[in-house]
Amino acid sequence: MSEDQNPSGGGQGQSRAQHIASAESGNRNPYQNPDGGITTTGHLWDDDLADFVNQPPKWWMLGLTASALWVVIYWTMYPAIPLAINGTFFKGVGLPGTGQWTAIKELAEDQAVLDAVRKPYEDKLKTMTPAAILADEELSKYVERSGKVLFSDNCGGCHGQNGVGTEQVGTKFAVREQGLMAPRLNDDDWLYGGKVDNIHETIAGGRQGMMTAHKDTLSAQQIDDVAKYVLAMSEGRGDSEAAGKKVFAESDCTACHGADAKGIQAMGSANLTDKVWRFDGSLEGIKQTITYGVNSGDANARVAIMPNFTAAGKLSAVEMKKLAVYVYKFGGGQKEEAAPAPAAVAPAVEAVSAPVAEAK
Amino acid sequence: MSENSEHHDHIYSTKLQDKIERNTLLMFVFTAIAVAVGGIVEIVPLFYLPNTAMSGGDGTFNGTSHKDLQGNAIPMDKIVWNPTTSAHKTLADWLPGDGVRPYTALETAGRYVYIREGCFLCHSQMIRPFRDEKDRYGHYSIAEESMYDHTYQWGSKRTGPDIARLGGKYSDEWHRKHLKYPRDVVPESVMPNFFFLDKAPVDAEKTRKTLEVMTKMPFNPVPKTIYTDAYIAGAAEELKGKTEMDAVIAYLQSLGNHVKFEEGVNYRD
Amino acid sequence: MEATQATPVKYDMDVVRWFTIAAVIYAVVGTLIGVYVASELAFPFLNFDIPEITFGRLRPLHTNAVIFAFGGCVLMATGFYIVQRTGATKLWSNTMAWFTFWGWNLIIVLAVITLPLGLSQGKEYAELPWWVDIMIAVVWLSYGLNYIMTIGIRKTSHIYVSNWFTMGMIVMITYLHVVNSLAIPVDWATSYSIYSGVQDAMIQWWWGHNAVGFYLTGGFLGIMYYFIPKQSGRPVFSYRLSVLHFWTLTFGYVWLGAHHLQYTALPDWTGSLGAAVSLAMIIPSWGGAMNGMMTLSGAWDKLRTDYILRFLVTAMAFYAMSTFDGPVMAIKSVNALSHYTDWTVGHVHAGALGWMSMISFGALYHMVKKLWNTEMYSDRLVNVHFWVALIGAVTYIVAMWVSGIMQGLMWRDYDEFGTLTYTFVESVSAMHPYYVMRAVGGAIFNLGAWIMLFNVVMTVRQASAVRGVNAVPAKA
Ligand code: HEC
Ligand code: HEC
Ligand code: HEC
Ligand code: HEM
Ligand code: HEM
Ligand SMILES: [Ca+2]
Ligand SMILES: [Ca+2]
Ligand SMILES: [Cu+2]
Repeated sequence: MSEDQNPSGGGQGQSRAQHIASAESGNRNPYQNPDGGITTTGHLWDDDLADFVNQPPKWWMLGLTASALWVVIYWTMYPAIPLAINGTFFKGVGLPGTGQWTAIKELAEDQAVLDAVRKPYEDKLKTMTPAAILADEELSKYVERSGKVLFSDNCGGCHGQNGVGTEQVGTKFAVREQGLMAPRLNDDDWLYGGKVDNIHETIAGGRQGMMTAHKDTLSAQQIDDVAKYVLAMSEGRGDSEAAGKKVFAESDCTACHGADAKGIQAMGSANLTDKVWRFDGSLEGIKQTITYGVNSGDANARVAIMPNFTAAGKLSAVEMKKLAVYVYKFGGGQKEEAAPAPAAVAPAVEAVSAPVAEAK
Repeated sequence: MSENSEHHDHIYSTKLQDKIERNTLLMFVFTAIAVAVGGIVEIVPLFYLPNTAMSGGDGTFNGTSHKDLQGNAIPMDKIVWNPTTSAHKTLADWLPGDGVRPYTALETAGRYVYIREGCFLCHSQMIRPFRDEKDRYGHYSIAEESMYDHTYQWGSKRTGPDIARLGGKYSDEWHRKHLKYPRDVVPESVMPNFFFLDKAPVDAEKTRKTLEVMTKMPFNPVPKTIYTDAYIAGAAEELKGKTEMDAVIAYLQSLGNHVKFEEGVNYRD
Repeated sequence: MEATQATPVKYDMDVVRWFTIAAVIYAVVGTLIGVYVASELAFPFLNFDIPEITFGRLRPLHTNAVIFAFGGCVLMATGFYIVQRTGATKLWSNTMAWFTFWGWNLIIVLAVITLPLGLSQGKEYAELPWWVDIMIAVVWLSYGLNYIMTIGIRKTSHIYVSNWFTMGMIVMITYLHVVNSLAIPVDWATSYSIYSGVQDAMIQWWWGHNAVGFYLTGGFLGIMYYFIPKQSGRPVFSYRLSVLHFWTLTFGYVWLGAHHLQYTALPDWTGSLGAAVSLAMIIPSWGGAMNGMMTLSGAWDKLRTDYILRFLVTAMAFYAMSTFDGPVMAIKSVNALSHYTDWTVGHVHAGALGWMSMISFGALYHMVKKLWNTEMYSDRLVNVHFWVALIGAVTYIVAMWVSGIMQGLMWRDYDEFGTLTYTFVESVSAMHPYYVMRAVGGAIFNLGAWIMLFNVVMTVRQASAVRGVNAVPAKA
């Protein structure tokens, strides 16, 4: 094939002497610059490769010199010399006005600016109770802002960003557990109470609601019945499940969930009469909760551990106060004075469930 | 090449450059020298200068000394766990705050999974000394904290957050849920599901060999006082029945709580 | 020019043809994986719960495929092409060149197998298992030795500038690969670096940056210095600039690795060393870009009809752009923002798509015509490819610059109360539109690669049909 051989003349096949001679003589060099003056170096490769003897532009040569200077100046100003004498590095002569630079010094300066902004607020927060903070408009605004990242970093993992909960959605590709990892915090359904002090107590002390497993105390039939009853209660037709109602009343359920099944705050037991489900509200899900319990020690038990942030040492006292106020301000917080009348519990939820109940 | 000297064409650079351009060997040698300089200047000092966490193996660190606010040197065994001087003598006794320690067998197995799954492509493990990173992730990282990280894992991209100080931030249970299906707990996440780790048993033999290899490293090996022969031999026992999920969670929980940092101290000097 | 040659030189071009075809195929494959990886970040369900294709395992396959498969085959095809033609000689050893070809492709196949299986050394661009590292060293040395020996037996007096750059690459990559890959194996699949922490980080980025500087840049500058003058039929603009460009870049680039580690746990001096030289690298780099572009002075009109030249010239514009972007990112205060963000990814792809791919496409088209001694099957498709590649690259780069800067600003933003404004997860969801845009840009770019593959295949078929013989003749 022709391309495998050198198809044309030029410098390629010649001896070096020939090549140079022909290049020097000029007449083989096809690149005499038309406007005269500039020629190529006289070297020729592969038929027609050559290079002009143009000078690099002045600005470029200046730039190159300036670059070299720049490197030297920069290395003098900043810590850049890998030599340590008695364990100490030369930190550079520093920048005019700002002195020697180190990364840690830069951090200290930036941090000082922040601290100055925060200090007045933080000082006040130290001595105030969550309820008092809530009452102070500016402080609660400060807390609302500074709580956001704090919440996202420490709580959002379980309670979802902004407390919306973490629904286990399930995908086409795998089957998985259903239910919330931790309660929603942006509604007004509370296991342990929605006053700011309740919330603060939860954060500072942690919670670990316990429900016993019933797989040994109730028969499969009884579990089935009582689960149907619980489901029926949430739909406002509890009376239609007489068998389950009986099991509920006679087993240990009322001890924890109350005779009215509305839950007992002190234990964090769930309200079983509304449509808010902590775990899985399907019949199967309810049966699982009843059979294996919650934090009961059973291998299949549902796990519900709200960590104790005081013990973990991860959050300061002020940060926990901030979070209590922050969570309260999601909108579901309960006022100090107005103890929730049973009818007023979870109006939002009632509103949703009412039409459903009517439709039935 | 003698003919060249007779027929010397005009040189548009320098004589030396022209010589180099005519001579393959010269070109090779000059290039080989030119490309070596920068690397030598930047890399070699990191093996003998202070503040590079290069351990002498006997509790010394190339003259590194961190000073507390009063200007007193903080003993290096407060920064890097030294079982001979510490009250806690074994990996099992070690407590957060005792100083930087190598990984346990289970954590080592987890670290292998971390590398295998390419977590380092989305997560950094290097907190820079910036106020926002302090607020977000915690105290800035120091050299000693990755001295046992053969194949460092600092990462170069934060598609997910930095996890240099993740240890203790979440419960194991949370990690299990999150790693299996990240979007279950963080709907906005773009992290892949790693549910399959839950079913995979850890490779005990590989882990045992890894511990052994770590003691043989030419630079910053794990001292045999920590990875004792007995510890290495017992690795298989420790890993019995553990899944890769358990391992990677153990690894994550071990990150970043080794050193007890004092507010305001400069740990990079 | 007429052919009045007494002793015509025969070249060993078969191996070049094979490398050329391989490069075109890998351009398609590498960017296709890139598109998939980009889509996974935009739509995580695409991980499909299949371990082998999750992001963490596929991303290294993308980088290895584009750098080593695509980039490597381009470098070797053009390298063997240029060194023969500018030296007016055959290869020192044609057999060894074939060894390089099969060895390199074997390594690529091994990468395709091992990376999805999760065999990774955990170092970017150096993920392959230790025994593949040994194979890489051997094959690379076979390439380097053959190349340098071919320069040694050249028939021209001076070594052409392209070969300076390629020689620089060969030497530097040998240093880098050997030093960075030193590891102790645990078993056949796993090994750990003999360095740890600070030292390992510096060595990794000495490798990482200079793989970019000498392989993705130096090697491709060699391509530029041959194909721009060739395609435009003009001599290189300035010989002195070539000389200065080469030595300043070769000496200076090596120092830059430390800019990847600013503010990390390395002592402050290391970052400063790297940052200062990084900024100083603008001028040498722009010298090279200017040398390429100015070569066209007096021939600018050719751009209207010569689509291959468009690729080459556009590449120089992107080279100038990414070598401005990079130094800016090396400034301490900018790096504080850009590091860890998509800005880096945008910068990478300005270099990779705009510079390295564009110059490769131009060179590949040029070579296909020469190697098969024919015209392209369709010049119009070359032009279509050009525009598709340009639009795809710009879409990608713009998306990542915007998302990167936004990410950096969101992470560090404080409100009037002195508290962080955004959570990390908010920054993740804010990236979504840009991740989609990047995937779309990438898909457009990938479409261009398919067009090139089609055009090249048709060209080769046409060339063989015309001659009625096999397009790939017996070895010369
Ligand atoms: C490891 C997961 C986890 C983390 C992290 C977590 N929580 Fe919880 N949280 C829970 C669980 C589980 C419960 C329910 C406990 C129970 O049912 O006994 C809960 C309950 C609560 C409750 C009571 C809800 C109610 O209905 O009464 C509040 C308030 C709360 N958490 C706030 C927070 C805040 C604020 C943070 C961050 C500082 C946080 N949580 C971190 C898991 C977590
Ligand atoms: C030892 C106390 C205790 C006993 C006994 C008990 N429960 Fe519970 N139950 C709880 C607590 C506490 C919770 C909430 C756990 C949480 O949210 O962390 C709960 C939750 C539930 C839930 C889940 C509600 C939801 O929103 O998902 C159902 C259903 C339930 N209980 C039904 C029953 C029935 C039926 C019985 C009797 C067979 C019973 N429980 C006995 C303490 C108890
Ligand atoms: C495609 C990128 C990607 C990969 C690969 C990835 N992650 Fe993530 N990761 C994320 C993102 C995004 C987040 C933030 C959202 C969230 O919490 O899921 C995250 C969050 C996390 C967190 C929570 C950190 C915190 O402080 O909230 C942990 C722990 C984590 N990842 C561990 C891992 C491990 C272990 C692996 C490998 C087995 C891994 N990730 C692989 C993207 C990734
Ligand atoms: C269709 C074109 C391409 C697409 C869609 C694409 C996409 C991607 C994606 C999504 C990533 C991961 C970024 C991250 O982790 O956030 C990536 C990384 C990378 N790609 Fe590409 N890519 C393409 C072409 C190329 C080409 C041609 C090269 C040539 C060298 C290249 C080189 C790289 C490199 C070096 C990285 C690693 C960047 C880093 O570590 O910061 N890509 N690419
Ligand atoms: C003078 C020229 C250049 C300089 C000074 C430079 C500088 C930089 C800087 C500062 C970073 C970011 C480091 C970080 O914060 O993590 C970077 C990353 C990167 N650059 Fe450049 N760059 C230059 C040219 C190029 C070119 C031309 C290319 C491509 C062909 C390129 C490819 C890359 C890659 C792949 C990365 C990503 C490394 C990683 O995985 O994190 N660079 N560069
Ligand atoms: Ca609630
Ligand atoms: Ca309920
Ligand atoms: Cu770099």
